[in-house]
Amino acid sequence: MSGSLILQSVVLGVLLGGLYALLAAGLTLYFGVMRVVMIAHSAFLILAAYLAWYFTSQTGLDPLFSLIITVPLFFIAGVLMQRLLISRLRPATLTMMSVLLTFSIALIIEGMLGFVFTGTQRRIRLPYSGTSFEIFGANVAVVKLIAFVLAAASLLALYLIMKRTRFGQALRATIQHPEAARLVGVNTDRVAGYGFGLGLATAAVGGTALALDSTIYPSLHWHWIGPLMAIIVVGGLGSIPGAAIAAMVLGIGQALLQLPLGTTWAQTVFYVALFATLMLRPQGFIGGRLAQRF
Amino acid sequence: MTASRTVNRGVKIAGLLALLALALAFPSLAPDPFILSVGVVIMSYAVLATSWNFVGGFTGYISLGHAAYSGLGGYATALLILDAGLNPWVAMFLGAAVVAVLAVPIGIASLRVRGASFVIVSIALVLIMLLVFQSWGSFTGGSNGLRVPRPFGPDVLRPEQHERFFYLHVALLAVALFVWWAIDRSRFGIGLKAIREDEDKAEALGVPTFSYKLVVFVVSAFFTALGGGLYALWFGFLDPIFQFSILVGSYMVLMSLLGGIRSLFGPLLGAVIVGYALEFFKAQYGDTQFHLVALGLLLALVVLFMPDGIIPAVGQLFARFRPQAASIREQTQAELAAQRRGEAAEAEPDDAMAVSGEEARR
Repeated sequence: MSGSLILQSVVLGVLLGGLYALLAAGLTLYFGVMRVVMIAHSAFLILAAYLAWYFTSQTGLDPLFSLIITVPLFFIAGVLMQRLLISRLRPATLTMMSVLLTFSIALIIEGMLGFVFTGTQRRIRLPYSGTSFEIFGANVAVVKLIAFVLAAASLLALYLIMKRTRFGQALRATIQHPEAARLVGVNTDRVAGYGFGLGLATAAVGGTALALDSTIYPSLHWHWIGPLMAIIVVGGLGSIPGAAIAAMVLGIGQALLQLPLGTTWAQTVFYVALFATLMLRPQGFIGGRLAQRF
Repeated sequence: MTASRTVNRGVKIAGLLALLALALAFPSLAPDPFILSVGVVIMSYAVLATSWNFVGGFTGYISLGHAAYSGLGGYATALLILDAGLNPWVAMFLGAAVVAVLAVPIGIASLRVRGASFVIVSIALVLIMLLVFQSWGSFTGGSNGLRVPRPFGPDVLRPEQHERFFYLHVALLAVALFVWWAIDRSRFGIGLKAIREDEDKAEALGVPTFSYKLVVFVVSAFFTALGGGLYALWFGFLDPIFQFSILVGSYMVLMSLLGGIRSLFGPLLGAVIVGYALEFFKAQYGDTQFHLVALGLLLALVVLFMPDGIIPAVGQLFARFRPQAASIREQTQAELAAQRRGEAAEAEPDDAMAVSGEEARR
């Protein structure tokens, strides 16, 4: 195995890890504000990818412009979903029942996508689809780099919202201790709704990034939800930095393992990491104050 | 009080016998082999849903990935027949035992922490099994599937096969229901239900929560694997896409939830309703994407509006016409205190007896 091949894999792993990190951050947000394991996250991801594809095939514009529509749309959908559906569930069985509810939403989205766009595999053709450039002997496709930059910029924006704004402060307070947040005057219900909206907005961005360089089909979301779930457990449920670091590590790990094992078996790295984490350190390796009780 | 209880018990036994008679008479009532095969499928669903309900009903941990155990049970049975040359029935039980052993480390990993991780592991397990069984072609037949030899000779015709397997599924279902009922009445079952209601309090009261959860999880995996193995022997063909499908796992959840996860016959009722609906849909409209939408909508409606299931809902309807039952859970502490004050004031021994009698029956 030559050095340049390894370098190539590391670069690919970093590019992929960025997308994983953004999506896992969204999943972590839902878990943080509501203790909800959002199975439909990756279904919304594929929905956004389909919307980007449809937008490009109808208007001929670059799929990146579809973000202007999908991000606000998904934000509103997330707020509505939290306010109208998730908050109706009984608090005592919230974690389990919300899993089933979001699972059923995932099934509905998959079914509707198959019904409206048929099960045919779709791909966006762009003038710059084939172009790539070289850094230190590693070949980097332009579309992958755009996807990474998009994911990294969104993650940075999310970080700034969380750390620098009043809303972010309220959101973090709600995640850390909902009762205390209510006591100091945070409207936790509304904040939780906006937190859900933010989480779903990450799926909109991720979906557009995914549509740039992958072939999409309705049942693709099952290939994403497993790795994403593994990432948030390894990072410690509820910790956004933990999720981001775990996403990077596992993304690079997957890309490196593809060299000796091939693409199919390399996916098992996520599941091996998931089981190892639960056996050795169930609260997760990086963050995870919340995870101890869940 | 005692008279009404004997009547109650008589009604229960009569209902049970009627149910059994209906199940046993079904093959002779079925007009054609196709309907009979639908009956076998529904019974298979009932076995799987009841097996799922060992974990879901007692502990309240919802597993979306029980298809992993039914699929593993099917593959273990098939591979033991094909590669080890075992008798099919021995292979089925041995296969289920192997799956139960495999379930121990999985249970240890997923049950140490609460709900969320359990669900995540259950989904991950199905995805990983699908990956392994599709890719490891030399051992499992890969995506091409695996043909399972039939346990009965070629002289047994199709309708006869269906009939025999129908009875076999009914027998397995009866065993699973009996074990569920026995656990429900035992101290072990009380501990499990305490975990479902409040795990922290159960632990504080000395229930060994982790080992209880693990034991019932392994029992559930064992019965699910038996169900999968029996289905594999009947159907005669295994395809990883259908064996390790998230959908099959969600059918089990939907069936149990719809019928009522706290009731013995809840999963069976749900399996009959959902199983019939699924087969009807398939026969009428074929395999379209609407299938998924309908399943998703139904699951969402059940979760939002009827999380306790049909049997408790109907039970509550009947309870309205009965004399007021004393239920501790539905009273607030203030009401209870007021009631106790009232009782102390009146000091009627009859009332107190009735209340304690009701409690004993629950």
